[in-house]
Amino acid sequence: MARVLEFENVVAQHYGPLYQFAFSLTRNEAESCDLTQQTFYIWAAKGHQLRDISKVKTWLFTTLHREFLGSRRRQTRFPHIELDDAAGDLPAVQPASVNQLDSEQLLEALGQLDEVYRAAVVLFYLEDYSYNEIAQVLDVPLGTVKSRLTRGLHRLHQLLTNVPPRP
Amino acid sequence: MNSTQAKQILIIYRPGMTDADDPEIAEALSMVRNDPGLSHWFDQHCARQIALREKIRQIAPPAGLREQIISEYAARTKAALRREKILAVGCVVAILLSFAVLASVYLPRNHVAPPLPNTLANYQNQMIGAAVSGYYMTAMTNLDQVHSWLAQNHAPSDYVLPVGLKKAAVTGCTFQNWKDAKASMICFRQGKTLPQGQPGDLWLLVIDQTAVKDPPADAPPRVATIDGLATATWTQNGKLYFLAARGDEQTIQKYL
Repeated sequence: MARVLEFENVVAQHYGPLYQFAFSLTRNEAESCDLTQQTFYIWAAKGHQLRDISKVKTWLFTTLHREFLGSRRRQTRFPHIELDDAAGDLPAVQPASVNQLDSEQLLEALGQLDEVYRAAVVLFYLEDYSYNEIAQVLDVPLGTVKSRLTRGLHRLHQLLTNVPPRP
Repeated sequence: MNSTQAKQILIIYRPGMTDADDPEIAEALSMVRNDPGLSHWFDQHCARQIALREKIRQIAPPAGLREQIISEYAARTKAALRREKILAVGCVVAILLSFAVLASVYLPRNHVAPPLPNTLANYQNQMIGAAVSGYYMTAMTNLDQVHSWLAQNHAPSDYVLPVGLKKAAVTGCTFQNWKDAKASMICFRQGKTLPQGQPGDLWLLVIDQTAVKDPPADAPPRVATIDGLATATWTQNGKLYFLAARGDEQTIQKYL
């Protein structure tokens, strides 16, 4: 019974952000639900192996990301879009125009990011994760996270600059 | 570090976070204070970051997702418990079966013999077995005593002795159980002396003929040798007579 309650607490605390992360990665509601559910299923089966309970959140995000990558490997690979070098001038996307965007447009722009950058960017905005924590979730070195964020944000701002305002 | 480089670094800066702890970002931030153009860009950048963060956080999970996850977990837990129970029961059954198999192999068997069919042959074999292997008998020397004793013990006493047998010396009587009936056993002596330890060497057994399912017809006695004894079998007035004697078939003819 205690185990069930503990599980319910973990779900209540994290299912929202996990779903947001999944949806930002997949842009598909059903797939996001599956990923979120699968993550908690793995937690139920293996979560007891986690010794440091403060790492639950990171553990869940890492697991969801791995599951996402695994599911992508099983599917047809998305075409890889090479980013322009980030050394150029930064696009001047205005905060006001960001406010005018709806979530759908933002997700559409995120969806155009390469998966490698998308996960880092979503974690960057979604959760108050430090660069180190993002590196842990994605299982990459800190320098790689910073590089992915720089390139991913640069590309995202480019994409948002080109979004036509909704009527 | 120039203004463009500072912007490239600060693009990953989020206001209100610990990002300023990063030395590179800290250096870029120090430039912001002294560069009005960079400062204007930075203000817009911070506002943009906050706006983007809010937009992403507006993604709402579908209604019922949480409940679905919990109910799925409960169902899986229940199924796992059921599987564990089935496994436990299976193990117990397997252990019991193993014990049963081992017991059947190694423990001495205590067979219960199936009931003997009430045929004439089985009756004859059992009575000969009793006569040969020994029995407790009340010793008597005359037939009236025998008659009385059998009547008192509810064994058949309304028998008719064959003429030849009346000449033999009676030694006593008893009864044998056969199914739910009693067979009177009258013991005789053929010669003057009996082998040591034997109370008779000639036996007449009388029982209701319904005690066997295949009694012989009312006809001359059927003489045969069974298990080394000469025997004669017949029925008369509803009684089955079985006479057995040590000796050959000619010997028994003398007592009919």
